[in-house]
Amino acid sequence: MPFRHLTALWVQVTGTWCNLACAHCINASGPREPWLAPMPGEDVRRWIEEAVALGVKEIYFTGGEPLLHREIVPLVEFALERAPTTVLTNGTLVDEPMADRLAALAARARYTLEIRVSLDHPEPERNDAIRGRGAFARALAAVRRLDARGLLPILTATETPAAGDGLYDRLRALLLAAGIGKPRVKILPLFPAGRMDGHGGGGVSAEMLDADAAGRLQCSEARAVAAGGVYACPILAGLPEARMPGATLAEALVANRLPHPACGVCWQTGSSCRNA
Amino acid sequence: MTTLTEPRAFRRIAVLGGIYANSHALGAALADIAGRDADAIFCLGDLGGFGPHPDRVVPLLRQAGVRVIQGNYDQAIALGHDDCGCGYTDPRDNRFARISYAYTLARTSSEHRRWLAALPGHRRLRLGEREALLCHGSPRAIAEFLWESTTPDGLVARLLDAARAELILCTHSGIKWRRRLPDGRDLVNVGVIGRPENDGTPRVWYTLLTAEAGRDLAVDFVPVHYDHEALAREMAAEGLPAEFVETVRTGWWTTCLEVLPGRERARGRF
Repeated sequence: MPFRHLTALWVQVTGTWCNLACAHCINASGPREPWLAPMPGEDVRRWIEEAVALGVKEIYFTGGEPLLHREIVPLVEFALERAPTTVLTNGTLVDEPMADRLAALAARARYTLEIRVSLDHPEPERNDAIRGRGAFARALAAVRRLDARGLLPILTATETPAAGDGLYDRLRALLLAAGIGKPRVKILPLFPAGRMDGHGGGGVSAEMLDADAAGRLQCSEARAVAAGGVYACPILAGLPEARMPGATLAEALVANRLPHPACGVCWQTGSSCRNA
Repeated sequence: MTTLTEPRAFRRIAVLGGIYANSHALGAALADIAGRDADAIFCLGDLGGFGPHPDRVVPLLRQAGVRVIQGNYDQAIALGHDDCGCGYTDPRDNRFARISYAYTLARTSSEHRRWLAALPGHRRLRLGEREALLCHGSPRAIAEFLWESTTPDGLVARLLDAARAELILCTHSGIKWRRRLPDGRDLVNVGVIGRPENDGTPRVWYTLLTAEAGRDLAVDFVPVHYDHEALAREMAAEGLPAEFVETVRTGWWTTCLEVLPGRERARGRF
């Protein structure tokens, strides 16, 4: 896949360290020993500086659960001083003090701070069957806390087999019923990666790379950084087959291979992990 | 994508963003510009969509000698694409976008579609001593949104470097803003005159840029008050969605909200 320009930098800040262990997790994150290590804060700052110099448009913190990183607030502040920044969280650690800290960062930043809170089903028991007991209530509480501070979180759901029809509209209705006046919802497809390895997807052959393909494949304008270096996209961060060559981000802004069945899902759906 | 270069330098130009078939606001803006001593008028594309009677816009632009570039909507209409290419995921937004696009496609004459197809993608000009690039979304993508809160200085510098310009003018997002880099180069989103900018008033905006020797570039965002009630009545009579009409009357966006960053979304009512 030819590389166009660096729109999004994904920072795998906690590696695969998470306090939940969702059934469909794209990188099999969980509370036990992470197979992909969290990143030292100084590395994160170095990658962000390089991405900014390369004209990056947006920075995303992901994991794992980014709020487990003990430096996360200063790291988000560092990013937000330089570019629009998004934090992907399961919401479980967004208590009142954390919501205050995030809102304070957003209030003094010139760029937008977006918080994405993951929740996969509008019914608590069906959501928790995927994400773990209590995950629904804690995610919705996080959405309320952030919304109350004007942060307008984006509820982000994966279209699991349990989702049923009209997931977008049902999640929007859930937010409205919860008193969220400006509901924001993002739906992602199910990727055959991590705990869903072997469930669908497919390769992308050279013949499939027509003129439209670059617009459908986010690796044409994104890179992920993780403890192991630079990777083609956030879904495949940490996988040896998605590791980009070189020691710098600049060296990684070259054509990449499409080595994984998840690439087929991107190609088919044109889905992007970005906010919009 | 073709780039058309203006042969002469300008001192003052007026620049219109998306018109969205709002011939009422276009007429009012052109009347206002007539008294502003502008050397030329430019329009950055998206002539149709949202409003009624798209065929009324092109004659007004041609009559006033407006130099137009192609927006993503114009490109889609010219080529008869299936949709406008805005890429919404909200089913509500997609429904509204489909209604608007089908209406516009059906009511744009084949002559105007040929005219839209022939529009350049970019224009270059000299404004005083500055080299300027005019584009629709961004210099690198016709449908890229450049919002104030999601366009970092590093990206602006990168786009200006790539364009070999000191000034970039764009539209597409629907809300005006200006970014001046520490080195004196600028990016200006000129806003749109097709619909209000989600600020609770029905007025719309165009941009006047003036280069005086030895002085900073003057960028004036000019409000345009027009007969928005007449527009609203025409839209209702044409059967366009009531949500669109509400926006014209109240100034608040009611649809296509998902593309707004959190910062800009927080300022609106919905």
